[in-house]
Amino acid sequence: MSEPVLDIEGLSLAIGRHRILKGVDLTVHAGEIVGLVGESGSGKSMTAHAVMRLLPHAASVTGSIRFAGNDLLAADETRMCDLRGDEIGMVFQEPMTALNPVKTIGEQVAEGIRLHRRVGRAEAEDRTRAMLDRVGLPESRFPLSRYPHELSGGQRQRVVIAIACALHPRLLIADEPTTALDVVLQAQILDLLRSLVAEDDMGLILISHDLGVVADMADRITILREGAVQEAGETAKVLTEQRHPYTRQLAEASTHVPAWSNAGTPPNGDRPLLEVIDVSRHFRGHRTGLFSRGEAVRAVDGVTFSIASGHSVALVGQSGCGKSTLARMVLALDKPTAGAIRFDGMPISSLGESALQPARREMQVVFQDPYGSFDPRKKIGHSVAEPLHLSERRLTRPERRERIAAALLEVGMQPDDARKYPHEFSGGQRQRLAIARAIITRPKLVVADEPVSALDVSIRAQILDLFARLNDDLGLAFLFITHDLTVARAITHDVMVMDHGKIVETGRTGEVLDNPQDEVTRRLIAAAPDLERAIAKRMAR
Amino acid sequence: MAQGELIATEHEDWRHFLRKALGNRSFLAGATITLFVVAVALVSFVWTPYDVTKLVIADRLQAPSSAHWFGTDHFGRDILSMTMVGSRNSIAVALIAVGIGMALGVPLGTFAAARRGLTDEVLMRASDIVFAFPALLSAVMITAIFGPGAVNAIIAIGIFNVPVFARVARGAALALWPREFILAARASGKGAGLITLQHILPNIANLLLVQGTIQFSLGILAEAGLSYVGLGTQPPAPSWGRMLFEAQTMMAIAPHMAIVPGLAIIVTVLGLNLLGDGLRDVLDPRLRRQR
Amino acid sequence: MLSYALRRSLIVLITLVAASAIVFAVLEIVPGDPARLMLGMNATEDAVQALRQQMGLDQSVAVRYVAWIGGMLTGDFGRSYTYAVPVIDLVRERLVVSLPLAAMALVLSTAIAIPVGVFSAARRGTAADTGVMAATQLGIAIPNFWFAILLVYLFAITLRLVPAGGFPGWQGGVWPALSALILPAIALALPQAAILSRVTRSALLDVLGEDYIRTARAKGLPSGLVLRRHALRNALIPVLTILGLQFSFLLAGTIIIENVFYLPGLGRLVFQAITQRDLIVVESVVVLLVATVVIVNFLVDLAYAWADPRLRRR
Repeated sequence: MSEPVLDIEGLSLAIGRHRILKGVDLTVHAGEIVGLVGESGSGKSMTAHAVMRLLPHAASVTGSIRFAGNDLLAADETRMCDLRGDEIGMVFQEPMTALNPVKTIGEQVAEGIRLHRRVGRAEAEDRTRAMLDRVGLPESRFPLSRYPHELSGGQRQRVVIAIACALHPRLLIADEPTTALDVVLQAQILDLLRSLVAEDDMGLILISHDLGVVADMADRITILREGAVQEAGETAKVLTEQRHPYTRQLAEASTHVPAWSNAGTPPNGDRPLLEVIDVSRHFRGHRTGLFSRGEAVRAVDGVTFSIASGHSVALVGQSGCGKSTLARMVLALDKPTAGAIRFDGMPISSLGESALQPARREMQVVFQDPYGSFDPRKKIGHSVAEPLHLSERRLTRPERRERIAAALLEVGMQPDDARKYPHEFSGGQRQRLAIARAIITRPKLVVADEPVSALDVSIRAQILDLFARLNDDLGLAFLFITHDLTVARAITHDVMVMDHGKIVETGRTGEVLDNPQDEVTRRLIAAAPDLERAIAKRMAR
Repeated sequence: MAQGELIATEHEDWRHFLRKALGNRSFLAGATITLFVVAVALVSFVWTPYDVTKLVIADRLQAPSSAHWFGTDHFGRDILSMTMVGSRNSIAVALIAVGIGMALGVPLGTFAAARRGLTDEVLMRASDIVFAFPALLSAVMITAIFGPGAVNAIIAIGIFNVPVFARVARGAALALWPREFILAARASGKGAGLITLQHILPNIANLLLVQGTIQFSLGILAEAGLSYVGLGTQPPAPSWGRMLFEAQTMMAIAPHMAIVPGLAIIVTVLGLNLLGDGLRDVLDPRLRRQR
Repeated sequence: MLSYALRRSLIVLITLVAASAIVFAVLEIVPGDPARLMLGMNATEDAVQALRQQMGLDQSVAVRYVAWIGGMLTGDFGRSYTYAVPVIDLVRERLVVSLPLAAMALVLSTAIAIPVGVFSAARRGTAADTGVMAATQLGIAIPNFWFAILLVYLFAITLRLVPAGGFPGWQGGVWPALSALILPAIALALPQAAILSRVTRSALLDVLGEDYIRTARAKGLPSGLVLRRHALRNALIPVLTILGLQFSFLLAGTIIIENVFYLPGLGRLVFQAITQRDLIVVESVVVLLVATVVIVNFLVDLAYAWADPRLRRR
C-alpha cells in the first residue's frame, strides 16, 4: 500500500496530571475512511484536536504525528495555519454554533479560499458557489448572502463541510458530524461525506460513538477506550470476529434487546388510559411587518390516538415533526389549540392546574438530558420526592423517606443516594434517578422524551433493561418519544410515525418496522444506522 | 425539607465555598478591604480621634502631623475623624438603596419571567421608563420636591436600583424556566410561585449577590456625587462628598483636604468591586459544574 | 429591518409620553404657586390671579399637560419664572456647553476603551493583561468629580496650562472654548473608559470560547485575523449595550462635573432653577435629558440590528 496521508505513532497527551491519551497509533491513506470509535471520555476528540494542533494551552503531547511529509508536532503556528483549512479540514459536532452568526455563508466559505490561494474576491466567490453546489446548496436556493440563522441544522452542517473541503484537503476530520442531527439528515450528511472522499481521493477520520454509523462508513476502524487503542483493523473483520472483549461489549450493547416478558402480549386488557382526540397546536408565525405575521406554524395538526394501560408505545419521527410538542400537551404542560386529551377519563386539556393534580399523580415524565433534569442546588432526595407534592394527604417524614428509598431501590440505586447532589452522579446514574422520580407516585403512564439518546451505548442498554422491567413489574404504560428506531423496536408494543404534525402510520412495532406502508416510515427505516445490516452489507462486498 | 437536612446542606456548601474563596485573590483582597471599611464605620460610633462636632478655629487648615494624621479642615476639624464618621453615611445610604432595589426588583423580575406575555412586556417597558432617568436626575427631581437630604438620596438611588435587579432577576429566571428540572417540577403539579421559591431563587441567588456588590459600590459613588453637589447628606453631618466640595474651595491653600476623603471612596468602591469579581469567580456554576 | 425600526420607534414614543407625564405629574404635586413665587409675597391677590390666568395655571391638569407637550414639540418651552425669558433660549445657550462636553467624553472613552479591551483580551493571562485590568479596576473606583478636582489642582493651579474653570463662550474662538472643556471631558471619560474596556475584554473572551471561533481557526486563520474578523463584531453587541447605558451615566456625570468647573451648562441651569424653584425650567431640562437618553438607546437598538443579522427579521 502507498504511503499513508496521516501517520500517528505513540501519541500521548496529558493536561496537568490527567492523562488523556496513552500511546495512540492511527494511520489514514488517501481515499480511505477510518472510523474512530469510543464512548464519552475515550479521547477520540482530543486525538482529532491534536492533529489540528487546536489543543488547550496546558496540554503536553508526546509521540509523533506525520502528515504528508510534515512533522505536525514540530511544526510552528505559521506552518499549521497554512495546513489547516488547506491540506487538513475539520467538521464539528454542533452545526448550530459552528458558524459565525454575523457573517454570510458566502463570506465564511470564501474566507479560507482567499486566505490560502490569495485569489481575488470574484474568483473566490465563483469557487465558493461551486463548492456550495457540491455539498447540495445550489445558489438558486441558497445564495451566498444567506446568514447561518436562515438555514436548518442539516444545511448548516453542509456549509461547515463546504468550508472544510473547499480547497480539496488531503485529510478531513469529522468529529461526530451527525450526532446532533436526526437519522434522515444523518444519512444524507454521511452520503455527502462518502461522495466527497471518493471524488477528491481524500482521507477521512470519522469520529463517532455509534458503531452502526462507523460500520456502514469506515474501511478500517480503531476502537478507543480511556485514551488507549483497544483494537484496530478492517471494519468487517473487527466487527465480525469481535476478538477483543471490549469490541464485543460495544457491539452487544449497540444491538441490545432487553429481556422483556410483556414483549409479545401487553398486560391489562384494552381500557384506554390516554385518549388524544383530533388535537392540534399552532404557533404564531414570525413577524413579517409592523402589524402582520407570517402563517401560523401547525406544529401538531389533527392528531388522534389512544394508549391502553400497560401498553408501551413509541412516537417516532424526524426532528421538528411535532413529537415533542405533542408530548408536552399530553403532560398538560401546554394546551392544545384545538381538540381534547383525556387521561383516565379526565379531560386534562381543559382542566385548571388544581383540578389537574389527580391526573398528574398518574402521569410522570423522563427527559433526554440527564444533566439538565435535576436542580443542581437541591439534593437528589428533594428532586426525586418532588412528585409527592401531588399526594392526596401530606406525608410524614418517615413515610417520605420510605417512599424515596423504595423508588431509588427500584431503579437500582441506594437509599443513601438521596443525600447527595446531582453532580456526584454520572449521566447513566442520573437517568436512573430521573426514572425514580417518575415512578415515585406509582403512576400509570410515563412519558419519556428521548430518554437514552444522550447516553453511551453500554449505559443505554442498562436503561432499556430498566424500562422493560418496570413495564413487567409495575404494569407501567410508556409513551417513548424518539428518533431512534432501535429503541422503538427494543421496548415498545406499538409505534406511531409522525411527520409535519400528523401521524402517518401506526401499528404493532415489529409489523410497521418490517413492512412499512408509508413513504415517511420507509425513509426513516432506510436512514437508521443498523449494525447488523451494515456488517452484512460489508461482508457481501 | 426537614430542618436537619437543610442545615447539613448549607454546611457542606459553606465548606466548599470557603475552600474556593480562600484560593481567590480578588475575593480575599475585596473581603479584607470591605471588612476593614465596615469595621472603621462601626468603630466611629464609639471612638474617633477627635470630636467631629467641635470647631477649633485655631487649628484650622493644618497640614498632616502626628496630632492630626490627615490634617484639619477650614473649621479645624480632624479630617481622619470626619472620614471615619463619613463612612457610616456612605455605607448606610448605599446599603439601604441596594435593599430597596432587591426587595422590589427581584419579585418584579421573577414575576415577569414566570408570567411572560403581556405582564412581562408591561413590566419591562416600565423599567425602561425608570431607566431613562439617570439616578442623579431623579435625585434632582426628588430634591426639587422634598428638599435635599440623605433620605431622599436613598430613595433616588434605590429607585434606580429597582429596574437593575428586576432585569437581572428576569433574565436569569427566563433562562431557567425552559430547563428540564423546572418542567419536571411543573409535571409534579407545582405552581409558578412554589417553583420560583424552590428552584428559581436558589439558582439566581449568586447572580443577585454579585449584582448586589456592584450596585453597592455604585451607590457609594452616587451618594458621594449627590452630597458633593449638595443634594445628599446635609451638613453638619460629615460625608465624603461634602468634604470634597469643601476641599475644592480650599484647593489652592490646603490640597490635603481633598486627598483623604477621595481615597476613602476609592478604597471602599475598589474593595466592593474586587469582592464582587471574586464572588462571581467563586460562585460561577460553569466552573463548578463537573462533567 | 424597517418594521423592526418602526416598532422600536413606537416603543420610544410610548416611553417618552410616559416619562414626560411622570415629570409633569411630579412637579404638579410640588407645593407652592409659581405665580406667587414670581411676583413675590407682597403682590396683591388680584395681580397673582391675573398672572395665573396669563400663564394658563387656572386650566385643568390635562389641558396644561397637552399644551406643555405641544409647546415643547414646537420649540416653545414656556417662560422661566425667574429669568423671565423663554426657557428655550436658556436651554439653547447652555446646550452649546453640555452637548460638546458629553460628546467629547463619549468619543474619548470609546477611543481609549476598545483598543485597551482588545489589547488585554489578546494577551489574556499575561503580565500586561493583569496590569491593565488592575488599572481599570482602580479607574472604576475613582469618583469623576474627585478626579476632576485633582486635574484642576495639577493642570490649572500648579502647572497653569488651562483655566481652572468657567467657559469663555464659542464667540471668542474655538480653541479657548475647547481648552475649557478638555479637563472636564477627561474627568468624565476616564472612569467610563475603565468600565468599557473591561466589558470589551470580557465580551471578547466570551466570544473567543465559541464554536465558530474554532471553525475559523480550523480554516487556517492566524489568531490575529480570528480576533479581528470573527470575534470583534460579535463582541460588539454587549459593548453597544453598555455604551447606551453609559450615555445616561455620562449625562448625570455632566451635571456634577459642570459644577466642579463652573461651566454654564444644563447641569448648572438645573441646580440654579431648583434653588430658585423655577419649576418650568427644571421640568423642561429633565424632560429634555430623558428624551436624549431614550433616543440614544433607540439608536443603540438600531445598531444592534446592524451588528447582528439575527435581529433584523424580528
